[in-house]
Amino acid sequence: MISFELTEEQRMISQTVEAFAREEIRPAARTADESGQIPPELVQKIWELGLVRSVIPEASGGDGGQRSAVTGVVAAEALAYGDLSIAIHALVPRLLAYPVLEMGDQAQRARYLPLFAQPGFCAASAALTEPRWDFDIFSIATTARGSGSGYILNGEKCYVPLARESEFLIVFASCGPAVEGFILPGGCPGLVVGEREKNMGLKALATYGLTLKDCAVPAEARLGGERGINFNRLMSEQKVAAAAMAVGVARSAFEYARDYALQRRAFGAPIATRQAIAFMLAEMAIEIDASRLLAWEAASRLDKGEDALKESYQAKNYTASAVLKICDNAVQILGGHGYIREHPVEMWLRNARGFAMLEGLTTV
Amino acid sequence: MKILVPFKRVPDPATTIRILPDGSGIATDNVKWVINPFDEIAIEEALRIKERLKTGEVVLMTIGQSNWQEQLRTGLAMGADRAKLIVTDKPLDTLTIARVIAKVVAEEQPRLVILGKQAIDDDSNQVGQMLAEILGWPQATFASKLEIEGDRCTVVREVDGGLETVAFPLPAVVTTDLRLNEPRYASLPGIMKARKKELKEIPIESLGLDLTPKLRVKELKAPPKRQAGRKVGSVQELVKLLHEEAKLI
Repeated sequence: MISFELTEEQRMISQTVEAFAREEIRPAARTADESGQIPPELVQKIWELGLVRSVIPEASGGDGGQRSAVTGVVAAEALAYGDLSIAIHALVPRLLAYPVLEMGDQAQRARYLPLFAQPGFCAASAALTEPRWDFDIFSIATTARGSGSGYILNGEKCYVPLARESEFLIVFASCGPAVEGFILPGGCPGLVVGEREKNMGLKALATYGLTLKDCAVPAEARLGGERGINFNRLMSEQKVAAAAMAVGVARSAFEYARDYALQRRAFGAPIATRQAIAFMLAEMAIEIDASRLLAWEAASRLDKGEDALKESYQAKNYTASAVLKICDNAVQILGGHGYIREHPVEMWLRNARGFAMLEGLTTV
Repeated sequence: MKILVPFKRVPDPATTIRILPDGSGIATDNVKWVINPFDEIAIEEALRIKERLKTGEVVLMTIGQSNWQEQLRTGLAMGADRAKLIVTDKPLDTLTIARVIAKVVAEEQPRLVILGKQAIDDDSNQVGQMLAEILGWPQATFASKLEIEGDRCTVVREVDGGLETVAFPLPAVVTTDLRLNEPRYASLPGIMKARKKELKEIPIESLGLDLTPKLRVKELKAPPKRQAGRKVGSVQELVKLLHEEAKLI
């Protein structure tokens, strides 16, 4: 049986988050992009929507809701519809909260989950990507070597969101044949956070490089303890979240361009009635729906506990190029207006470029 | 204190409305439905009163088809305690709606009924006033500020040319204006909890009211298209045209 129906709860979440994105996030996006700063009050306001705490168990002070990748995808699309930098920033704590929730041992769950049930925004992050031309998430160069009862970490990471302000970070490192996660406190010895990175897009989102030099961590730092983690599943969850956010960005660009084309008149008629534009808009709409279906399918497999590696990679891969094309078309439809900063489409195009290479910025 | 908030479901103000070719109503396919924005302000105010007094109950109600549940759930997700849906698929006029609400008031015995000053679809602005009359309660319309102390309520009303402050004993009916508050967003935990809150469906027939509309909408028409303006060459010409053609001066 196939169902494309969201539950009433998921529809409400989608509508609420989208209304918030339209009314609160979108108006703040341009200033955040220009200044490189996201107002802390806005981050706090998003935090209060409970996107993270809703799935933290009641025993840890959360609301004990059932975590669902489909719900996560729906909310991620709606949030990114407002602005990608702000959406990612607001959800960065999930990069630590969710792996601990899903794969952490009892002590780790007891220690870290209550952080995310607090009333104030709690920055926590994860370091995955490495600054190497041959970076491959399945052969990570950062190493975790067993030493006594603990581990010694060495390596370099980049594109680590909110690395500087995070209370805790998960660092992914090769540990023997497998990739494992290690939970490090923000300022721990041997962990050096570099300068804030200067990126083409996502300018409001603070990302950093970091270096691990003989960084010693106790055995308890290893996520999941002796059992370790299911790295494939974590990566699937990140890919599907990125795909969902790409759909959100694509939809904002599509709607903006469509409304512009309905209003802008050339040669006596709205340009939306010209086939050159109308075909472009139709194709954008089709790509958005196709992208969303791929993301939903991958998410629904995750919710059923099935392997979704292929589906999530396909979803991410497809949407990463679709969103770029859609944002590029949006700029094109606005013509000269699309290239100037008065309209948001150029910003969305710059942000969308990130999907093709950035990994590990978000999860569901 | 128990507060009843009756609300209406209306098309999202952001959607474009199309009138049916025969003028009998609007095309409802692809229309997104929301709680009437003025009623949403009423829900917010009820929740704030409850939070201020640290006690009480906020009960929502609406009159419509079974699928209006979705908007009731949204109100529950904002924080209301329970909801009643008076089920009907017939169009009702404002007086009937006020009578239905009065029936629910009789059963629930709230100390306060807060609702929007008008629904943004037909802009009738009648239900609150009619309800107060049927109940024989004081009414304060167009509230931009509301305070409750013991059994008395003070409301600042937005009237032509200024503000008017009225004070009256409870129980009472208050209708909300735009500047009363800014409604909150439902949170995810709120949405999750809403599913477990009581939402009762009551068939309208069980209320024993005469539902025959006294008012009939004969036809809906789009406003006439605005004519393009005209440029004049000089002030003299403008004055001449205003005098001779427009006959305004």
